[in-house]
Amino acid sequence: MKTSAGMSRVRFSKAVASGAALVLGLTLTACGSGGDSAGGAGEFHVLVYGDAANKVEKQIVAEFNKTSKVKAVLDTVPGADYQQKLQTVINTPQAPDVFFNWGGGSIQPFVKADLLLPIDDLIAKSPGTGPEGLDGLRSNFLPSVYDTAKVDGKAYGIPMRGTQPVLLFHNRKVLADAGVAEPPKTWDELLGAVKKLKADGVTPIALGGGDRWPTLMWFEYLYDRIAGPGLLQKALSGDKSVWESADSRKALSMLKELVDTGAFGTNYDSVKFTDGGSAALLASGKAGFELMGSWEYSTQQDASPDFAKNDLGYSSFPTVTGGKGDPAAVVGNTNNFYSVLKRTEHADDIAKFLKLMYSDDFVEAQLAIGNLPTTTNTGKFLDSAENAEYLKYQFDLVDKAPSFQLSWDQAYVQTNATPLLQAVQQFFNGQFDADGFIKAMQALTTV
Amino acid sequence: MTAAAVTGPGSGPGPGSGPGAGPGTGPADGNPKTSPGRSVARPGLGWTLPAVLFFGLFAIVPLVLVAVLSFTSWSGLGSPEFAGLDNWTALFHDPVMIKSLWLSVLLTGLGVLVQTPLSILLGVWAAGPQRNRAVLSAVFFVPLLLSATAVSVLWRALLDPNFGVPAQARWLFGDGNLLGSRTGAIGVLVLVSAWQFTPLHALIYQGATRAIPEVLYQAAAIDGAGTVRQFFHITLPQLRNSIITSVILMVVGGLTTFDTVLILTQGGPGSDTTITAYYMYQKAFKGFDFGAGAAIALLLVVVATVVSLAVVRISGYDKMAGTKDGL
Repeated sequence: MKTSAGMSRVRFSKAVASGAALVLGLTLTACGSGGDSAGGAGEFHVLVYGDAANKVEKQIVAEFNKTSKVKAVLDTVPGADYQQKLQTVINTPQAPDVFFNWGGGSIQPFVKADLLLPIDDLIAKSPGTGPEGLDGLRSNFLPSVYDTAKVDGKAYGIPMRGTQPVLLFHNRKVLADAGVAEPPKTWDELLGAVKKLKADGVTPIALGGGDRWPTLMWFEYLYDRIAGPGLLQKALSGDKSVWESADSRKALSMLKELVDTGAFGTNYDSVKFTDGGSAALLASGKAGFELMGSWEYSTQQDASPDFAKNDLGYSSFPTVTGGKGDPAAVVGNTNNFYSVLKRTEHADDIAKFLKLMYSDDFVEAQLAIGNLPTTTNTGKFLDSAENAEYLKYQFDLVDKAPSFQLSWDQAYVQTNATPLLQAVQQFFNGQFDADGFIKAMQALTTV
Repeated sequence: MTAAAVTGPGSGPGPGSGPGAGPGTGPADGNPKTSPGRSVARPGLGWTLPAVLFFGLFAIVPLVLVAVLSFTSWSGLGSPEFAGLDNWTALFHDPVMIKSLWLSVLLTGLGVLVQTPLSILLGVWAAGPQRNRAVLSAVFFVPLLLSATAVSVLWRALLDPNFGVPAQARWLFGDGNLLGSRTGAIGVLVLVSAWQFTPLHALIYQGATRAIPEVLYQAAAIDGAGTVRQFFHITLPQLRNSIITSVILMVVGGLTTFDTVLILTQGGPGSDTTITAYYMYQKAFKGFDFGAGAAIALLLVVVATVVSLAVVRISGYDKMAGTKDGL
């Protein structure tokens, strides 16, 4: 459709070069086995996703290095390339000793390849609650979050940033204008509110369908409310029949009904959250609701500070009458985690390093950059934090949640992200009927 | 290249053999600088070494490695396992793959159809002597200076259904669901690529038009041909070679388009704009199925090569004569 030979060649050789890099990486793997494990004597490497939150990670590493003989070295990989880089180095001599991940499906392949050290094995080295004891690596974190870094019942990750539950945000002014007195508590109230908002001439619910993961959030919550967290757990462990169950079909028909009533308008697939499109709909009063991760709040504070201060409301996802799921359950990004490689030579020092992930300094530093940690001692710091009310609301929500469903695209092994997100979009835009969606979900790979 | 230019490298780097190597060291025949035997000597093969090494290392070797990879199953963890023809048979039974090839061809074809007439008209106009030409041409070329990423981000904002142009022109765009519908998304991709790459092709046509001998126009004017007739009977036939060059560039570029799709549509809605190059990226770097990704990449190389060769052959580019015959 376009372009100069120069351009096309650049593009082409990029693709080829990455291929070559991969293959070269692999030869290195082959040659390098038997060599010294990463880190060498006296230090271990901590690989993290590179972004603004690194400030805290740097601080914690510096604090650890002050007293420890074995030093921690922080390596950051900027943004989007993280998972790819990790996948390429994790089985090589250049592998880090400790690495950042999203729990769930992001570490499952590594566990299957027998690369990770179960946290329980780490604790077993020095159990107890004293200053040298490591029991804290299990007991000092909110269980609903801690559980999402478990594979086959064993924990492999220590929460190390903030939690991001998905909430139903609304524009107070728009709701009031349309005669919706308070945010809906049940699904029927939500349908009622949608009708009123539509009659008032606004898009009832803003949806960044172009990004696709915002659409997925509706599936995650509705499936959780109707079938409970068990359905996805079964699906993830390989029982594909759950997608054909009555609960699954009920969730799909309710979603279909919501889409068909025009709750999201008609052009949601041309709108994105990532370029500010859907958030602007909510802030400018052109839409009443938006289902979004807790980061919606800081997004609105940046983009529309007045709206965030005066009219941005939030509530938990409505309950569904007759649903098997607990109405207090949440979905979203539970937290990020540190996992430890089995082959590390410094497990004892790493355990000490991980203990800092529930220290008071850690919690305060995370709160200062707007992250909400998921340690049991977080609660006592919330009063003095900025946006105390909002943080407390989330913390209570997560603390009381009987289960915290990790986003499906992260719960499944990465290979499935694209087909999963495509199926979700195609169900919303009518290219797939319920059977088509069920088939697509059954085609996802499970380990 | 002139004979003189060849002399330098042809004489080799040996001491005392080059021009100006030092007083009194030249050959004794009294004609030290331009011995005829030397000036026509072919440069040694050694001189191609840098280019050959570079091309081999960054084009041939990766290509071979990709070919090898396409017969393996590899997620990036551990070593690739030989998988025989698995990736290839899966590829030919994959509905998305087949659709993606068809989409690549469709987008490329639409691109050529839209960009060629536009760039010829612009290029021919820009070759003229008009007073405002230089300024306007400079403006037209701005898109060429922007990265494809910046262009795509810019257009996404412009086409936002609630806050962009479509919101102000409901009569034309309806609900503005451009990127959410198949036709709309394809239309946007064609438009954005045309906006970005027409200037490049206009540049080619501008240069080519300037090279058309003025006498042709003078003769035509004497025969009473107006501007339009001159365009169709002199300019266009004279641009024939350039048109083929430009079309081949468009075809090869179109088949390997990637960044525009990545930012504007991410292959959506559904898989409706998942062109082959993007599908390769999805498989390899989103799904960590490097074997399948390598197979798609190789297939794309083959298709792009075959199509380019076909264009060259059909157009007679390979045995084309100059356009100046008879002048």
